[in-house]
Amino acid sequence: MLLNITHRTRYDYDPAVATAHHILHLTPPNMIHQEVIAHSLNIEPYPGERRSSVDIFGNISTYVAMNSAHEFLDIVAMSQIVTNVPAINQDTLTMDWPIEWGQVQAHLEYRAEAKWSEAVQYLFASPMVPIHSDLKDYAAISFNSQSTLLGAVRNLMERIHHEFIYESKSTDVNTPVLKALAQKKGVCQDFAHVMLGCCRSMGLAARYVSGYLLTLPPPGQARLIGGDASHAWVSIYCPTDLETMQGVWFDFDPTNNKMGLYSPGNDYVTLATGRDYSDVSPVRGVIQGSLEHTLKVEVTVEPF
Amino acid sequence: MIEGIRPLLNPSAVGHLDELRQYASPESQSEEAKKGSTPTHLAPENLSSDWLNFLEYLGPHGLSDLSRRNSELSRQIRENGVTYNVYADRNSPIRPWSVDVFPLIISTNDWAKIERGVLQRVRLLEQMMVDVYGEQRLLKEALMPAALVQGHTGYLRPLHHVMPSGGRHLHIAAFDLAHGPDGQWWLVAQRTQAPSGLGYLLENRILVSRQFPDAFDAMGIQRLAGSYRTLIESLKLASPGGKDAHIVLLTPGPYSETYFEHAYLARYLGLALVEGGDLTVRDSKLYLKTLRGLEPVHGILKRLDDEFLDPLELRADSMLGVPGLLQAVRAGNVLVANAPGSGFLESPALLGFMPGISKAFTGETLELPALATWWCGERAAFNEAKAYLKQSVIKPTYPGRLRGTGGAHSSIAEEDFEAVLCQTLSDEQIQGWIKTIEQNPHKYTLQSYLPLSQMPTWMDASETMPAGIIPRSMMLRVFAVSDGVDSWRILPGGMARISPPGEQISSIQRGGSSADVWVQATQQRDTSTMLNRHFDLSVLESRKRLVTSRAAENLYWLGRYTERSENTVRLARLCLQSLRADERPSTSLLLWLEKIAKDFRLIPEEVPTPEIKEGERSIPILEEAKTAGPKLLNIKNLFERTLIDSLDKREGVNSVGFNLSALEQASYAVRDRLSQESWNLIINTRRDFTQSAKSWDKLPEGSSLYALGALDKTIASLAAITGSQSDRMTRDDGWRLLSCGRHLERLGFLTTALEMAVECQTLNHLDKDTSGFNALLTIFDSTITYQAQFQELRGLGPLLMLLIKDADNPRSVEWVSNALKGRLSKLAGSAPDELTAMASIVPNQADWSLEKLCQLDANGEFTNLKKMVEAFKVATWTLNDAITEKYFTHTLESEQSLSA
Repeated sequence: MLLNITHRTRYDYDPAVATAHHILHLTPPNMIHQEVIAHSLNIEPYPGERRSSVDIFGNISTYVAMNSAHEFLDIVAMSQIVTNVPAINQDTLTMDWPIEWGQVQAHLEYRAEAKWSEAVQYLFASPMVPIHSDLKDYAAISFNSQSTLLGAVRNLMERIHHEFIYESKSTDVNTPVLKALAQKKGVCQDFAHVMLGCCRSMGLAARYVSGYLLTLPPPGQARLIGGDASHAWVSIYCPTDLETMQGVWFDFDPTNNKMGLYSPGNDYVTLATGRDYSDVSPVRGVIQGSLEHTLKVEVTVEPF
Repeated sequence: MIEGIRPLLNPSAVGHLDELRQYASPESQSEEAKKGSTPTHLAPENLSSDWLNFLEYLGPHGLSDLSRRNSELSRQIRENGVTYNVYADRNSPIRPWSVDVFPLIISTNDWAKIERGVLQRVRLLEQMMVDVYGEQRLLKEALMPAALVQGHTGYLRPLHHVMPSGGRHLHIAAFDLAHGPDGQWWLVAQRTQAPSGLGYLLENRILVSRQFPDAFDAMGIQRLAGSYRTLIESLKLASPGGKDAHIVLLTPGPYSETYFEHAYLARYLGLALVEGGDLTVRDSKLYLKTLRGLEPVHGILKRLDDEFLDPLELRADSMLGVPGLLQAVRAGNVLVANAPGSGFLESPALLGFMPGISKAFTGETLELPALATWWCGERAAFNEAKAYLKQSVIKPTYPGRLRGTGGAHSSIAEEDFEAVLCQTLSDEQIQGWIKTIEQNPHKYTLQSYLPLSQMPTWMDASETMPAGIIPRSMMLRVFAVSDGVDSWRILPGGMARISPPGEQISSIQRGGSSADVWVQATQQRDTSTMLNRHFDLSVLESRKRLVTSRAAENLYWLGRYTERSENTVRLARLCLQSLRADERPSTSLLLWLEKIAKDFRLIPEEVPTPEIKEGERSIPILEEAKTAGPKLLNIKNLFERTLIDSLDKREGVNSVGFNLSALEQASYAVRDRLSQESWNLIINTRRDFTQSAKSWDKLPEGSSLYALGALDKTIASLAAITGSQSDRMTRDDGWRLLSCGRHLERLGFLTTALEMAVECQTLNHLDKDTSGFNALLTIFDSTITYQAQFQELRGLGPLLMLLIKDADNPRSVEWVSNALKGRLSKLAGSAPDELTAMASIVPNQADWSLEKLCQLDANGEFTNLKKMVEAFKVATWTLNDAITEKYFTHTLESEQSLSA
């Protein structure tokens, strides 16, 4: 699917900001399931410094420094992407991918002379996602001793999707996972964090995905949640060979109850991956001198 | 001589090495000790040769003198203001540091082993840093668990693949060692993020070596200055600035538990002491905000934990750091010592993997063993260690130092707990712990328990015990410091941390103490000092003292609070004197005193006026008093009583005590710029005043006299503080701002007092009102000047001449305005002798002639005087705002993190 994305972030400050530093994760990378045809990132006012680099997770991050007073910051990222997600048969999933979650957990656990995997770094607590018995207790219902990895995780996703209420403004970007779990309420970011915490508490490698979702679905299809803002879901590591610990990532979107290999679907675009939101927030920054600010974020994702 | 020590000795605990004798009494001998006979191993003849040597130099006289030396030590610690802020917040008491009179003497043999072992280990730590921030062989070959790197908050992903300036990560590392019963030294813990102790141990050295100068010299104890010097020189060379680099010491601020040490080290090493807010990053370069603008900084010696260094890329919820700092680090434009990201090396769990890492990296066996350590996250290790739990200590794998920070990161900090000594637990409790660990094994680390050696400490005589030498458990902290490009040296000394009596875990936080550590020189004694550094003369000339904007602000307030303290003390004293005077104070004087005392908030607003003559003035609160008549006296007493009670209050009033504390706090924040004497004066003034306040609380009868005595004493101390500020401080921009603060405050006080005198009509009958006249002279501290100039002549003209126009009276409006203008015109950014825009804010008193000022208008009011006073009063506010905006805005700028 060919998708056109416009992501605009605008801050208005009162009084003016004297100096500011920002880190942006607004440039989608080329990946096995998506190709970036065109991309532009415009920043106003013109920054004093601007530099892009690839971070430790493989994301493209842009550092921006504003060295003089400014009353607003307007960032517009535009991308044109072709997605091509391999089809998987949901009905035969557990037969096609028979690996049990217990085997995966055992192979990811440290022991002398254990095989190394890139995925290991996603096993641990991260700034916004603790490993906690509440999360483990919630997850355990989905993880029977004989369950396959994908079967168990899909079950977990379905439970979160059905048991949690999606409610915008019920949380903010700093809402702790345990609170979201307790109130069973939140937005896509909270759903993703809860699911990450559950998987990691079970000893599995899970990462956070920040991205986009088609705003208006093709005629006849239901409109999904999260299309008019940046979206978030999770990605689970699934070894294909336990001896070498080679593997692939399966993506699960608990907000919309969708899953797939590399991505939940062709109407999804991956922007960045990390341990949790704090690693990949689209716009992060420190401003000096201002007291009040207003923020407006607009995202449109359309088929080309 | 040896005999003299016999009665002072006490046996060390069974199973612990006795440092005095280098011998541990085994379990079986404890029975013998119980029987009361002096066991043979306690005989003084069995003391180790080093300690015998030391005692020999001490001599019989020295031995009998230990109590005096001990109290001398405590006195010096108090005087030098050596402190440790236990709970690290502004409301908790700041505790004096504690050091024992005895040094810990380490035999040359032992030291050689420690030195070799620590050098080997610190080199390995550097290799591990290079690997973890590079190819990560350690993880790929499973030489250590990823949980201890990628699962540790101390591993900083933004710095992956970043080679630090100078090609080296570590410059300082601390190692905590325990001395086992068999004489073997064991590594217990290692610290690399921001190890504390380098300042305290220096202070310990100065204090203790001064107590035993003969022994110190004769035993050839190795000196320390050379190691500090080499550290700073190495940092400069490794930084992008080279040998003339500008290095600063970064502190979390005055409420940090070890702030004393930060200020002390900064002064000793000749570095500017800065907080995150003093620094800024522009174009990926680091700058210090000074009064003269941005000054480049090439290196940071940091005492701030890594996570707080940069809110842009690390913890967004803390503003202690510098936004963009990691950009500057990545660009290689600044050296940070140690390189951010070494926190994971501090996990105790790592110790168990280091022998294997050493083998894999260098093929070497580690010479200095670490206590046996098992990381519970490794199933096989935990299963093996479970059996020995009773002989182990349970430690957190991820010790956090974060207290109540909340926010997104609190999920990780919650995992912290205090080490558990399992031998004190019941079997049931042990089982409970096993269950807890199995829930989340990676969070726990087991370390085998080792009885710590016990070193002699001096105990003064108490009600239950004669004075004597008490053995107490200790842990030794030694430091490896950078010594050139690729080289290390071990600081020949260290800090012994002594447990509280009867406790097993040495912790300064929990009321432990410390001791100096003596290492004897084997070859040549290092005689270098921090002083004889060879400067390039041209550099010396161009080097001007930098004044950070924050220091400037604190100095300004130091000036204001010094003057304000003086004014309130003088005012309080005048009030008390007037109420007690033989000569009956005039009503207008009493009104004036009341008004000004309330305006300066010496007493709460609701306290009634001291005395009102019937019919002259009517105040509702006095209605009852009017009818009661005799109660008038009580109201006067009430005023006096409230004033005295409020003198040291902190709430509801801006009392003398309040201002003295504010003065102390402002000076605490610029400690590195004050001489020891100035600092002592400030501390003692506040302390003495508070102590006096306690004593007069108990004596309601004579309290007025006591209070007056204390106020007199405080006036004298404040004069000394002012003296040291004008005499002992460099005349730089910082000092000029201090002086501006003082004069602005004085101008404000002068004009307020005059304004109220006009309002209360104190000036209207000066020829008749002796009390009012004298009071005005007293409050402006101008009695002597007046008498010298005008003798018996009394009247408004001479008074205003002296208080407003006299250019030679340091308490006159004219003199103060001139002083202010002078300071302002020399401040940063002004051309010499040019009257800057700021200085022109101060009005010119010459615009009002003396004749005009003395004129009464048709309504019997001093309109002109009132106008003049008003103009000056407004000017003090305007000027305060102007100074704040021009010089301090950097530090007032609010900083916020955003996320979208």
